[in-house]
Amino acid sequence: MTGSLIDFCKQLEPTSLKLPELLLQSAKDAVEFQHHFPSTRDEAWKYTRLGRVAALKLTPVKINQSPERLPSSDTIDIVFEKETWHCNEPLDGLHLTFSGDLDADAWNACTLHGHVQHINALTAQGGVAIHVDANAILTKPIRIIHRLQGENTAAILHHQLVLGDQASAQLEVIFEGTSENSYTNVLFDFFIGAGANLHTDLLQQTHGTHYGFYSQRIFQKKDSTFALQTLTVNTHFTRNEVEVFSQEEGTHTQLYGAFIGKDSNHIDNHTYVHHKAPNCTSDENYKGVLSGKATGVFNGKVKVYQDAQKINAFQSNKNILLSESANINAKPELEIYADDVKCSHGSTTGQLDQQALFFLRARGISEAKATEMLIKGFMAEIVGAVKSSRIQDELQTLLD
Amino acid sequence: MLKIENLHASINGSEILKGLSLEINAGEVHAIMGPNGAGKSTLASIIAGKEDYEISSGNISFDGKDLLELSIEDRAREGVFLAFQYPVEIPGVSNVNFLKTAINEIREHKGLTPLSAKDFLSLVKQKSALVNLDASLASRAVNEGFSGGEKKRNEIFQMAMLEPKLAVLDETDSGLDIDALRIVAGGVNALKSQENATLVITHYQRLLDYIVPDFVHVLYDGKIVKTGGKELALELEEKGYDWIKSAE
Repeated sequence: MTGSLIDFCKQLEPTSLKLPELLLQSAKDAVEFQHHFPSTRDEAWKYTRLGRVAALKLTPVKINQSPERLPSSDTIDIVFEKETWHCNEPLDGLHLTFSGDLDADAWNACTLHGHVQHINALTAQGGVAIHVDANAILTKPIRIIHRLQGENTAAILHHQLVLGDQASAQLEVIFEGTSENSYTNVLFDFFIGAGANLHTDLLQQTHGTHYGFYSQRIFQKKDSTFALQTLTVNTHFTRNEVEVFSQEEGTHTQLYGAFIGKDSNHIDNHTYVHHKAPNCTSDENYKGVLSGKATGVFNGKVKVYQDAQKINAFQSNKNILLSESANINAKPELEIYADDVKCSHGSTTGQLDQQALFFLRARGISEAKATEMLIKGFMAEIVGAVKSSRIQDELQTLLD
Repeated sequence: MLKIENLHASINGSEILKGLSLEINAGEVHAIMGPNGAGKSTLASIIAGKEDYEISSGNISFDGKDLLELSIEDRAREGVFLAFQYPVEIPGVSNVNFLKTAINEIREHKGLTPLSAKDFLSLVKQKSALVNLDASLASRAVNEGFSGGEKKRNEIFQMAMLEPKLAVLDETDSGLDIDALRIVAGGVNALKSQENATLVITHYQRLLDYIVPDFVHVLYDGKIVKTGGKELALELEEKGYDWIKSAE
């Protein structure tokens, strides 16, 4: 039996966000009803054990509400560090608010799904609400940095990004820092307006025995484009949940991911794309490299609803295991109720290409360097899709 | 330069080389011909250091060093080059980037400083022209989307860049049309000097019209059964390998 979800929530502070009463009640009911953390008997948690998370003794991090101003830079910086959050002067058309200051109306469009979101709804202590006006084309990328530090801390944040119709923005989200026996739960809602375009690069590189739960929900309006690159590098425990709701015609969604695990790292990527409207495309590509005793999970689901004709959905997951004890559980899923769609999915897992390794070594390159080159080559199409130069640079260094 | 003595090698328990001996000196071009399954490619793989084979007896010395004791990469750094029969495609690894790494690791081994970006690029320009390799191919991922002929030209381009002492060409002519064959052979000939040597492994005499050998060896059933001058290749072309087999 896994630990009590109720007790876990009790040690945390009640949320300081003004979620609608109905939404809060639904989260409370769900936690009461589930009572315990999900076990490996639950399909969504089949390969990710939560016993250690349930046993964590945590002190919640309360975030102060008025941001300190950071000096102006090439990016719009938003920094969460310990109890503070900072940001610099926004641009025209960009508004930054503490998510605790939002009215209940601002959260109405959301329903909650799964225990990660339930815990978040009940205990979130802040976050940033980013609002981009319609037609605004942001000239600087927005960068949210989470510096996670300390022992036995719980950082629970709920962010929101509203991108107005025809607006365009680039976002970088970074999780870094060293913490022990700590818990992070970040829920991020994206509302992408008609014809709008958002490119997001997400880097997770926390150190120490840190348990990270990241849940992203994306709501796409007509002809909008959303691209997300999720990069997880040597984190102790990461669970990513990405859920896309393509609500109107003509949307394009790109979900790319690269995960690298070593030692006893555990990295879990769950994605769910709902194609509810016709004439949309989605392109999903996740790649993993695991060594040591690392374990990985890829569960990608695409659902094409009955009236969503002319959908073009592509999904691929490829993994390389560098050791005998590394382990991946991959499950690509397609659920199609429309009859005029093009969908493909596939997953492969293998070892490093021995022919290629021999070839590189036969040209004078050491085994270690050749291995590194092959891993970089394998990850190239994901890393190449990253727009953030900072994340690009970090990845190059990490892969070296 | 290369001295192979009484080499016995097997893979998965079956013996492929059964007492092969061969000596190659600097400035020489040797050709090894023989029927399918005689052990030609096995010999090439063993010289380069492929680990799938078990060497039960015999030895190989290269410039006085025990080649079999060296790792794959150290053999390359000492000057052994294998032009692959089936060049591998490596998506995501650029040709130029990989060659730069290779050259600099070889230079480091020799106690030389890394090549500057400028010197490296002018070398790429000069050497890719040698085999008519389009400059755009040099910057693409290794062999990805290359035609058969481009892959083989790319092998000779790499050879030109790395300037090995001993180049082993494993059926470099397979899959090449006459024009590509001329280009590849032209590249190999241009790289020939008194300091280096070439070992050409082939099925057909055709390649030897372009890369003229000093010695032709016939490999049959794991051993060299006949050695002669370039005229031996013509004789083989005319009479076929049965002639050798029946002479056994």
